[in-house]
Amino acid sequence: MNGIALSFTEEDCCGCHACEVACKQEHLLLNGWGFVRVLERSPSFIPVYCRHCEDAPCMESCPVGAISRMEKGIVVVAEEKCIGCRECVTSCSFGAMRFREDKNVAAKCDLCVGRLRQGQAPACALVCPTGCISWRESPPVSDPD
Amino acid sequence: MEEVKKVRTVCRSCHGGCGVIAHVRQGRVVKIEGDPESPISRGTLCSKGLAITQLAYHPDRILHPMKKGKTGWERITWDEALDTIAGKFKEVMENFGPQSLFIGQGTGRDYESHFSRFGNMLGTPNVLTAGHMCYLSRIGASLITCGRFPVCDYEGGPKCIILWGVNPLWTNPDEYKGVDFWRAYRGGAKLVVIDPRENFYTKKADIWLQLRPGTDAALAMGFFNVIIQEGLYDKEFVSNYIHGWEAFVDRVMDYPLEKVQDITWVSADLIRDAARMYALTKPAAIHWGVPTEQTINCTDFTRIAIGLMAATGNLDAPGGNVFRVPPPVRSVSEFSAHEMLPHEQRKLRLGGEQYKLAARMTIITPKVAWDAILQEKPYPLKAGILVGTNPVVTEANSKGIYAALKKLDFLAVADLFLTPTAELAHVFLPAGTWLEQDHVSENWKFHGFVLARQKVVEIGECWQDHKIFLELGKRLGQPWWNTVEDALDYILEPAGLTWKEFKEKGFLRGEMSYYKYRNRGFSTPTGKVEIYSTILEGWGRDPLPKYTEIPESPISTPQLAQEYPYILNAGLRIPVFFHSANRQIQWLREIRPDPIVEIHPDTASQHGIEEGDWVWISSPRGRVRQRAKLNPGIHPRVVVAEHGWWYPEIKDQVHGWDISNINVLTDDSYDSMDPVMGATNLRVLLCNISRCEGQRGDLP
Repeated sequence: MNGIALSFTEEDCCGCHACEVACKQEHLLLNGWGFVRVLERSPSFIPVYCRHCEDAPCMESCPVGAISRMEKGIVVVAEEKCIGCRECVTSCSFGAMRFREDKNVAAKCDLCVGRLRQGQAPACALVCPTGCISWRESPPVSDPD
Repeated sequence: MEEVKKVRTVCRSCHGGCGVIAHVRQGRVVKIEGDPESPISRGTLCSKGLAITQLAYHPDRILHPMKKGKTGWERITWDEALDTIAGKFKEVMENFGPQSLFIGQGTGRDYESHFSRFGNMLGTPNVLTAGHMCYLSRIGASLITCGRFPVCDYEGGPKCIILWGVNPLWTNPDEYKGVDFWRAYRGGAKLVVIDPRENFYTKKADIWLQLRPGTDAALAMGFFNVIIQEGLYDKEFVSNYIHGWEAFVDRVMDYPLEKVQDITWVSADLIRDAARMYALTKPAAIHWGVPTEQTINCTDFTRIAIGLMAATGNLDAPGGNVFRVPPPVRSVSEFSAHEMLPHEQRKLRLGGEQYKLAARMTIITPKVAWDAILQEKPYPLKAGILVGTNPVVTEANSKGIYAALKKLDFLAVADLFLTPTAELAHVFLPAGTWLEQDHVSENWKFHGFVLARQKVVEIGECWQDHKIFLELGKRLGQPWWNTVEDALDYILEPAGLTWKEFKEKGFLRGEMSYYKYRNRGFSTPTGKVEIYSTILEGWGRDPLPKYTEIPESPISTPQLAQEYPYILNAGLRIPVFFHSANRQIQWLREIRPDPIVEIHPDTASQHGIEEGDWVWISSPRGRVRQRAKLNPGIHPRVVVAEHGWWYPEIKDQVHGWDISNINVLTDDSYDSMDPVMGATNLRVLLCNISRCEGQRGDLP
């Protein structure tokens, strides 16, 4: 499948963290990490985010089928099906699967699919001052392991 | 779902200007988005602006006026609050004269027009701002050198950019946002980066000059040395438009590259390469940051930098450093009504004789105020009002400031939260955020725009600061307009617009033209760029710029350096905070939960310090704790610490104002300050470090 996926040009990430706060706001994450975040390893910055992998380990690891693929290859968690076992959290080698303690469910980037349907950029990409976040069609990404 | 109303307005979570769209549901702002149609920010928005909802609706925010009673803070009405302040101020005016009052604001605020007008009509020349060491100081130095403030013309397409002590994608958004820099860089501009730390830009740079902190003025003289020796200057411009070039050339010869290399720790070859790149690539622009202003070299550095722009023909040239043309509205200066301050009161300005450039910019350096409070010399300061400022954390020598503010007969503070400074007040006034403000905004910058910031919501009993000055001023018998909107109509009158019409329009931009000096010369006494300043000469000062060694350094104070062997770079900015603001915002604090001190790995290991350890940082004036981050991209003899830290979550002990606050360590002695502007040294001093035992450094 040749879907769309989030992608950071790492060398152009200036470490401003705007994407993280935009993500938290968009997804009403009142505390804890956003679905994108930027780690600081002076003097570099390392973005952590979901690749919407072609062979998504999170999806395969879920014992109840709560993780599925929707239009354009976007991988999403169905909150109401999630049993909070955290298998997906450990299976993701990008560290992109979050666990929401407040709801006891796994949670992840949905590429702001609601915004995409309205022709808007994902929240993180809109605010990025260097334009280092893209989401357009790109070669499928596989899990590095 | 209830209907969402979208309101277009302008952010002010830092120095502002970015366009935002606020989503409002049932009278509450539920979301903030960047405005893709903004001429300033083009849809981008930073973490601080995005987090405004968590700030505006924060449970700790104070939403009503208060007074300090016997048992602590008590809620009062606006009438009681304003009557109390007006009553105390009148008492001081009658007993001591209006000069015994002070007014203070923090970093450049967008109510400066109203703030200054209030002070002038109050009759006090004692105006405290951050301007002595931030922005206003560079404007002051620019005005005496070339008549106006030159800003980097990213729009004009520079082919070479010097980022001089600045991180435009994180901070310093006065004239331009990081997006403009990025666009010019992406357009193929060469990049020279001058910074003591390896960072995002140094990795992009063609040339990175890793200088010893505080030696910028020497480095700039090194640039000039190359440019003069190799004849790389614009001979026509120099002969027609620079005053005192020959005398300056003699001065530059005091700075051979070998000497500059010794002072700055930057190799002569790299300086030569960078100077050639700047001088030979046309057009070229210098974007410089606040570290250059926060030392004894404040005025001189700006003057040398303007000299570089002028001598290379880049001044007011497209893609160089230009004088933006403001839109036709009443300026901040005109609104401020400086002529209302009586001449005899002006002469009473604290430090006015010594710090003549600060006086010309109508401010004082804070040190003279703290002394007037504590020692009552040359006359006592008895009472004042501080608005949007937290000097206990953000100005040099926190302990001295704390003692001074505590001694006042009366202090009023307007802010959003009970900050360490606000806790020392007798009356607290709840100010509005930018979501609660109508204003012809960003009129004070030299960017050629005014922007419509319109009130999106009202929260609690909070008032926008403009209204506070207007209503307090009326109680003191000052002539003001009836409403905030009436005053905005006055500002807009020359443009033929009312506030209501301007709000619809969104923004106004001045019509830009370049090379304005060809018709009118420069607005200086000689009509030229005064690298040799006739104004400074008239003040009995050195008319030519130079480098002065930082008064507390391994070179100036070698004995002290044995006990404090590291150079502390004391002002690292963090993209999620704005000076001392935002520590209570969950979205932001979880990105940066603790204050960070950066140490070279070799240095850290000598002290047994590992990544994440709490570390004591000590200077001759005290010690504070921050958390170690090992950074191989700084010099092993340099330690870099964050500024602005206090702990809103600590509800007693004045919110832990002295635990991690780097200004406990900084010095505000007179011999450490810029001699004409009174800039305090918030940046470069000596320190030592040691590992802090115990969990989290035993923070309460």
